Amino acid sequence: MSDQMCQPLSLLYRWIQENNELVDKCKQQGGGDALSPDQNKTHLRWCSSEFHKLLKKIQGIPPLADYLQLELTVVYNACLCSTAQSQFSEAELLLTQATERVLQMTGDAPVASDPPVFWRTVLKSVGDTALNPCVLYLLCLQWAIWLSTCQLKTIQECQDELFSVFETLSTGVWDEGRSELRGKSSDIPLLVMDPRRLFELLQICTIIAQGAESLSEGRSSEALSGLQTASSLPAPRTLIAYTHLLSGSCLAHMSRPQMALQCYRKALETDSRCVCALYQSMLIYRQLGNTQAEIQALCLLHSTLMLPFATEPALAGTRLLSPSLLLRSQSLSSLLSVPSALSVLHNLALKCVHHERVSDGVEYYLDLLAVLHSEDQHGVHAEGPPLPSLPELYLQAGAALLMARRPADCMALCDEVITTTLELLPEKVVLEEPEEKCEAETRPLCAEGDDRVAMLLWAGAAYLLQGHCHTHLKDWKQAVTHYTRCFNLLVKVRFKKGSFQPQIPSTDMIGKQGTDLCILQRLKGLSLAGRGISFTQTDQLREALRDLQLSMQAFPECTSAGLWCGEVLWRLGRRWEAAACWEKTWSFTPQFSVESLSVYLQEPQSGPLLDSSELRRRIQELGPPLSA
Amino acid sequence: MEGRCAVETWAVGLSGTSCTPRVKFGLGTDVLLCTGSDEVYVFSTQERKLTAVLQFPDPVSDLVGSHDKQLLYVACRSGVYCVSLQFQLSRAASSPADASSSLAELKIPSEFLVVAEEGVLSVLLVGSVFLTLSQTDTSWMLTLYKSSNYEMLSSFSLPLVSGVVRNDTEGKTAMRKRPVLICVHSNDATPPSSSEATLTDDHVRLEPVLFKLLFGVDAALAKSPVILCGLPDGCLCFLPLRLPGSRLRVLRSLEQPVVFVGASVVMERGPGHAQCLVAVGELGKVVLIKTDKGGSEGGGNRTGFIEGCVPGPVMCGCVDKNCLYYSTGSDLLVLDLSEGLSRREGQEKDEETSRKTEAALQSPTSLNVCRVAALAEPTCNTAGEVQLLGLSVRGQLQRITLPAGREDARLSKGPSALVGRSVGDLLSAIGDVCERASVLKTAIKSKNQILRHLNQVLNISFLLIASASSEEHLPIQEKPIRCHGVTSWSRLLQEDSLNLTCVLDNPSPYILERGWTLSIAVFPLSYPPSAGWESSSTNFSFPFHNLHPGETLEVSLPLAAAGEASFPMTVSCSLIFSLTSLLGEEAANLPGLQSRCISLPLNTLTVDWLHVLQVNSPTATHKKATSQSNNTTDSVQAFLRSRRVRCSGRGEGGGESASKPEREYSASIRVSSELLRDTLLLKSSDLDAHMPKWPPQNVGLSLLEWMLSEGPGGVTMGHQGDKIALSSSVVHARGPNGHTVKLTAKEVNVEEESTGKEESRTAVEVQVESSSIAAVCGLHHAVLRRVQTLLQRAPEKAASTKEVQSLGLRQVLQRAEHLLQQIQQSRISGAFGVGVSTGQVTRSLLSVYRELRENPLLIV
Repeated sequence: MSDQMCQPLSLLYRWIQENNELVDKCKQQGGGDALSPDQNKTHLRWCSSEFHKLLKKIQGIPPLADYLQLELTVVYNACLCSTAQSQFSEAELLLTQATERVLQMTGDAPVASDPPVFWRTVLKSVGDTALNPCVLYLLCLQWAIWLSTCQLKTIQECQDELFSVFETLSTGVWDEGRSELRGKSSDIPLLVMDPRRLFELLQICTIIAQGAESLSEGRSSEALSGLQTASSLPAPRTLIAYTHLLSGSCLAHMSRPQMALQCYRKALETDSRCVCALYQSMLIYRQLGNTQAEIQALCLLHSTLMLPFATEPALAGTRLLSPSLLLRSQSLSSLLSVPSALSVLHNLALKCVHHERVSDGVEYYLDLLAVLHSEDQHGVHAEGPPLPSLPELYLQAGAALLMARRPADCMALCDEVITTTLELLPEKVVLEEPEEKCEAETRPLCAEGDDRVAMLLWAGAAYLLQGHCHTHLKDWKQAVTHYTRCFNLLVKVRFKKGSFQPQIPSTDMIGKQGTDLCILQRLKGLSLAGRGISFTQTDQLREALRDLQLSMQAFPECTSAGLWCGEVLWRLGRRWEAAACWEKTWSFTPQFSVESLSVYLQEPQSGPLLDSSELRRRIQELGPPLSA
Repeated sequence: MEGRCAVETWAVGLSGTSCTPRVKFGLGTDVLLCTGSDEVYVFSTQERKLTAVLQFPDPVSDLVGSHDKQLLYVACRSGVYCVSLQFQLSRAASSPADASSSLAELKIPSEFLVVAEEGVLSVLLVGSVFLTLSQTDTSWMLTLYKSSNYEMLSSFSLPLVSGVVRNDTEGKTAMRKRPVLICVHSNDATPPSSSEATLTDDHVRLEPVLFKLLFGVDAALAKSPVILCGLPDGCLCFLPLRLPGSRLRVLRSLEQPVVFVGASVVMERGPGHAQCLVAVGELGKVVLIKTDKGGSEGGGNRTGFIEGCVPGPVMCGCVDKNCLYYSTGSDLLVLDLSEGLSRREGQEKDEETSRKTEAALQSPTSLNVCRVAALAEPTCNTAGEVQLLGLSVRGQLQRITLPAGREDARLSKGPSALVGRSVGDLLSAIGDVCERASVLKTAIKSKNQILRHLNQVLNISFLLIASASSEEHLPIQEKPIRCHGVTSWSRLLQEDSLNLTCVLDNPSPYILERGWTLSIAVFPLSYPPSAGWESSSTNFSFPFHNLHPGETLEVSLPLAAAGEASFPMTVSCSLIFSLTSLLGEEAANLPGLQSRCISLPLNTLTVDWLHVLQVNSPTATHKKATSQSNNTTDSVQAFLRSRRVRCSGRGEGGGESASKPEREYSASIRVSSELLRDTLLLKSSDLDAHMPKWPPQNVGLSLLEWMLSEGPGGVTMGHQGDKIALSSSVVHARGPNGHTVKLTAKEVNVEEESTGKEESRTAVEVQVESSSIAAVCGLHHAVLRRVQTLLQRAPEKAASTKEVQSLGLRQVLQRAEHLLQQIQQSRISGAFGVGVSTGQVTRSLLSVYRELRENPLLIV
């Protein structure tokens, strides 16, 4: 600056210098990625406070046209830093103050607080002066704040003004201004973030947020058109992937699963880290009943989740304002949520076990247990369905191991469950079937009782599995012991319905599937059946018959009990009864699907088997019943 | 000593409590102490002394050692620091500065900051996980970090229970309460790594059944350690560490700040099986959590909570096998947990059980140790005595050894033993009270002292303020506290320097006590325009201790080296009192207090040319003159002077000026001798009795003598050696700039010309002659000042004044008019710069000045 320059002008120059140095520092930090997020945050906080300080200095003088451009630039920078730190109210206050100063300068009266009207007035009062772009940048920031605070309605109302931003940016006023001044770059105040990048980011984020909103409101087709146009906009990969993902979700809602799958695939192709696309396709496969594909998807999902780069790296140009900051709507985050890796692993294991891939399933179960026991596991909680409780997992894993013919391992797991629960088992417990209506209210009240019942059921199931193991090993005596232990535990449960006295539950009280009562009855039936079958192997036919008949009372659908009951009757020479028993067993259609029940509650496949065709042959040999 | 516990004080003087203090065992036999200041002390129990002080940038709230005892994690306000103590100590030992003293003081720089989380209150290390607990406005935040790279794993929050905390906010400024953070392991869970085998005091093993009952089967199956927090809002909450999807859940609320959580064996069932969790609240609520065997319905084990209350407030606590030790601040008490519990076991079905348990819990035994603020876990020495390590409120580290077989002694309490013990207790209590009383007494005494001091200060302040407001009316002598000065020349290292000795008189009835400072500012009356007023002023301050009434304080300050300063100088004295001295050293380091002081102006002295003259005794005159002329610079100056004289071409006494170039400028003042006679005689008879009576005939001599010996404004001239007896009415002297000056006082007759009376009046003409114009001006000013004071003293004489009025007035007026014309002319020419050089203007002005000075009016 020459000596002739008057004092205020050199002050302006100094402020510009200060602003530019700060911007440089701000950008420099972003260049080095080696910094931890913590340090980044600290740096950002520092930048923000410095910008605010500078702004305070500048706003110390009355608004003059010469300064205002600089001032608005600094407001932009400070505001952006505040927004990046999620300090929206602070940023908004800055914007209001700045625009008020603009109005003061142009001499217009302050206007209503209604945002669209307000901004319209400000833009009109600025007119086509050099300040116009500056005010438009501030409008961009206002847009970002609205977006971050999910005020989509306001954004819609201001669409015209926002479009004018687009026009200004696209006509290249910004560029002209830049190139004209590039020669003396130290004289123009710099911006921390290119407004054009900001505009692009805001545009696509707005479309995504609006799409998610309409999707959650059920206006799928409406959302779809917007999203599909957005997918061609210039934007970071992650965001493009989001548009594909949301389009897929729209299509899935419109019951076009195949097209949805296509979209999900596109999303994955765009951004390989878009795990939610994988998850959504898995859900569609499940819906379509394509088990193999579902297992495949689960497998992929799990391995993707286990990859180290689970967090998104900073995107070039959008470093300060990350998309996650702008996309905070509830509906979007629920669409993007993915269950935890452990939950996926459990699902995978269960699927495998249910669908004839037992050995894989066993491996997955063992992986799961290993993860749970490792020291690196630190109770990280994620959204989505929680994992079943640990004893449940142990029992499932045990059942899978038994299916994979590894009875020793199964017994070890069951032992673990038994030793853990044994000391806590109650002598007597009353199982209260809550009335249908007040189910929700009473649940938390009887939580402790539930806990104790659940523990009892786990221990019982563990004994049952151990019985199965011994059956598998043809150690009938041990099998009888364990089945007996299981049964003895189960009879401790009294059932209470409504205001009736507690009683021993009977067959006719079988409740809804999945309730404790149902599990209890099933366990009873299975343990009795197991013991009965064991007795048949040691030729204790009387005991066997008693147990098998009791089993059929407790759990009428138990196929093995029915068949073996017939066999025992046959051996006892009561052939007609035997034939009737077999016929009756075959006539039962299973009420519950296989998958809806825990693995360990299913009938064992490993015990001694009866060949149905052989039985049918015997019935045929027996001829028509005498009574008929 | 039977039944009494021995207290050994190991270290003292660890101060500062902004947070609950903490004592911990760490690093072998070392004890780590954190008192809430920004320092952590390492105390070696073997050497019985402090071995290291770690200084952190912020106040320390908590610390924890790693399992292998290598690292120390310290939670400060700004975050958590990780320090390798061995490394630090070895580094300190290697530096030679600390080699002599065994106490290593280590400043921990901010590079050691590993977790930049603000406001961490408690920290805990569990295996490879590092936990911090901090408080936000509305919730508690438990954050998990990987201890290898301090990556944040997850964070859990629990809403703050505001009711309890609100009560707490008043005391919040005084002390931040630290939440209790411990890790509970199930006893059957084998430690996953050998490093965890040795459990520190933050880790407890709990009997498996109780563990499962409290924290669930899942935690037990996963063999997960459980974090247990006792929060200042009264919540006791837990978090299974390694369970997916676990949340921070509340176990129990104590409804008062939790001070301590621990586990106790209570009953011997197996070695190391802690059967019972103990939580203690600040107000004395004790909660025991244990397994209840086979309840009345359903059977099986259930969780049993036993609540009791002990007289609070509980400051800290610890447990050993079956006792809870806690400190109320005034006493250390021990509560036997097994007693209450075993009784409960025995009377299981009894309805009154709970009441009895409370009764049992309510009877703690006093150990008679007061003011324990923090306790470390108890240890057992080889003799089977329980030893506690405590930190007292005043920062003393104490080892408290409990008497062995305390239980037996209590069971067989003979009356004599009882009496002996109670006497001992009373004695120790008396000793304690006595100590506290003496501390209070000293505090009161020092406060009284300060008040008395302040009273004196205020009295003096009012005195001086009152006198300052009425300053105009009071002559100098009537100021209550004042200064007067004596000037003296001293010769040091061939350099003459002028010293002013200021004497502060305290004729007031008050003592000027410690804290007062005499401040003297010296600045020239006129200063060169190049230097500002500030630069030419010099400040001296003399703090002094006590100045009793009637005493004087003499301080001496250098005014100037020869030829440097410009006279006359103004010396302004003031008294300053600073508040810091009143409050003592504690206040001295408070920011902002240093500048708080009262400044009270005293009088102002003027040191003029007459004061600083070095009068040559008639004999010495010649010698000095010759010795000076030997000086080369002087000879050069003399040469220059002679040159100038020749150029100036002032005709008067040309021959004389050639031979004596020094006498170039002169000024004179005429004072009527009648006036002089009146005043000087009046003075000698009235005011100054010791002055020798002056012979009335030689008024000029007495005037000179008076001028040189006495001064207005309280400054007198000090003479080296004896008082100079002026033999003649001519005084040769040297001014401060080295020029010789000549003062002549002679009686002259002034004739009245205009009136025909031809009445002559005698006057004394004081003539000042010197080669230096500065000296002439200065002396003229000084002499005029003296004459002014003389006139002030003169008795009113209306008659003579009237006569004098016309004396030579016209002549004088004419001369003045002429001079005025000359001045104007020179000013005009100077302003236009027409034809006349600046030198000429100066010269003409100078001649005017000289003319003015040489033809004075008669002062009557």
